[in-house]
Amino acid sequence: MSTLMAPRTTTTPSALARTGRAEWSRVWSVRSSWILALLTAAAVVGLGTLVGLDAAGDPSGPPPDATAWDGARPSAMFALFGILALSVVTSTADHATGAIVPTLQWTPRRGVLLAARVGVVVGVATLLGLALVAAASGVVWAFVPVVGLPPGAGAGTLGGLAVVYACCSLLAVGLGLALRSTAGALVTVIALVLVLPPLLANLPYDWAVDLSALMPGSNALYLIFGEGPRDDMTATSSRLTLTAWALTALAAGGWRLLRTDASR
Amino acid sequence: MISVQGLTKRYGDVRAVDDLTFDVEPGKVTGFLGPNGAGKSTTMRMMMGLDRPTAGTATISGRRYVDLSPPLREVGALLDAGAVHPGRTGRAHLRIGARTNGIPLWRVEEVIDQVGLGSAAGRRVKGYSLGMRQRLGIAGALLGDPRVLLFDEPVNGLDLDGVRWIRALLRGFADEGRTVLVSSHLMSEMQLVADRVVVIGRGRLIADADIDEVLQGLGGRRVRVRSPRAADLHRALTDRPGGPGRPEVERTGSGEPDVSGLGATEVGDLAHALGLPVHHLADVEQSLEDAYLTLTRDSVEHHGHGEQPVVNGARR
Repeated sequence: MSTLMAPRTTTTPSALARTGRAEWSRVWSVRSSWILALLTAAAVVGLGTLVGLDAAGDPSGPPPDATAWDGARPSAMFALFGILALSVVTSTADHATGAIVPTLQWTPRRGVLLAARVGVVVGVATLLGLALVAAASGVVWAFVPVVGLPPGAGAGTLGGLAVVYACCSLLAVGLGLALRSTAGALVTVIALVLVLPPLLANLPYDWAVDLSALMPGSNALYLIFGEGPRDDMTATSSRLTLTAWALTALAAGGWRLLRTDASR
Repeated sequence: MISVQGLTKRYGDVRAVDDLTFDVEPGKVTGFLGPNGAGKSTTMRMMMGLDRPTAGTATISGRRYVDLSPPLREVGALLDAGAVHPGRTGRAHLRIGARTNGIPLWRVEEVIDQVGLGSAAGRRVKGYSLGMRQRLGIAGALLGDPRVLLFDEPVNGLDLDGVRWIRALLRGFADEGRTVLVSSHLMSEMQLVADRVVVIGRGRLIADADIDEVLQGLGGRRVRVRSPRAADLHRALTDRPGGPGRPEVERTGSGEPDVSGLGATEVGDLAHALGLPVHHLADVEQSLEDAYLTLTRDSVEHHGHGEQPVVNGARR
């Protein structure tokens, strides 16, 4: 046994830092992550281009108080799709491929693994979404310079989107860890965010509309577009509802990772 | 040293591992044997903290695996060669393992060379053969240059060179004083490499003994003899004065006596004293496969009768 390889102990913070670096490598060492990121980038920036072209060709011109950040709202919605997909794929890859075996051999302290995985995946997905929305806003501004790209409005827009993206990514990661199936988690998160909210909101029942207002998708859309299935929705109530969904999913996923056998 | 104490794993009403107790000592290669579904993999998974025991403990160097930090510097394990992300390169896979345990990246290149993965390390794992995946898994186990090694079916998919390489590797580790536990279905391979065997059946311990003890349990020495007067020799061996050492003589398909309980020297002396010509006389090496089949067959009987017999000093 070489001297360099002699066993030594590791503190929790350094184990967390190492596991975080390893999680970063896990995300970017597979092609599927790059493909998802590039497809999302193409869709988000492409939609920003279409919005910019449309606004540039509109003879009535933009509303007086509009900014390029407003023009990127449809792009922000598309970015959410990519964030959900990236979060699900990266959080379920270990169980889907059996790689959870070496992962837990290398990091047997599951709390450390959970913290590192959630932190890296949610962080990467959120920052990617924000960067793409900023890029889409820049494209809109390039086509319609008159609307401007004020930094103050940008900070507000990106700050609000950061909460939406982080909560939705956390929801997806939590479901991925809980269900341990890429297809299962993807179907569930798409149903909760994209399918059920408009479906319920369009049913002729008050309870269905009320239920729709509680779905994560309705609250994400409210925070992006300012519109929701109920008139009494506010930014604060939407943030709280989204956070509750995210924390519930994290609790379910965390319980599954921390308390149950690795592959059952 | 690995210590398993009262380890139990239940899935509903099924006891996959049932009150298992044994130690794996350093400086020896210990074979971990048992029929399919005996609980070997579940036991190894519990040792590695992948599955939670219903009861009992498994410790490595006195600590649970989950308490080892960083673990790869203490324990290396290959549990499932197929458990790798197919879209990642072998090198990237190993680098992730190295990063989690604070192992320098040059060590990754070292183990890639050590297992003979070579240029394949830069390819995605989905293009690997089973043998290459085994080598990648072994490289992962060696990353931290650990004192304890666990291998689940390490020679699966390896060609003859690979088998001989892993045999030498295991022997070398044991000779360096490391603790080596190897699960395998290949009894001939285990007989060549193991110093000791732990045999389990239906989740319970059947035998925990040195390999020589297990082989002795088959009835000691056996001799095969060929003679043109096989019938006379057979009669002479059968009519040999009785007592505790009385041999058992069976006729093989060609009519030649197969003698248990006597050595080649005694059979040769007897034939010489009677003036019987002998054309071939040889000790027959006992096989671990025979011992294993006998032990596991008894295990089934044991479960049917609920007894706890002792064979060759080993608990069943």
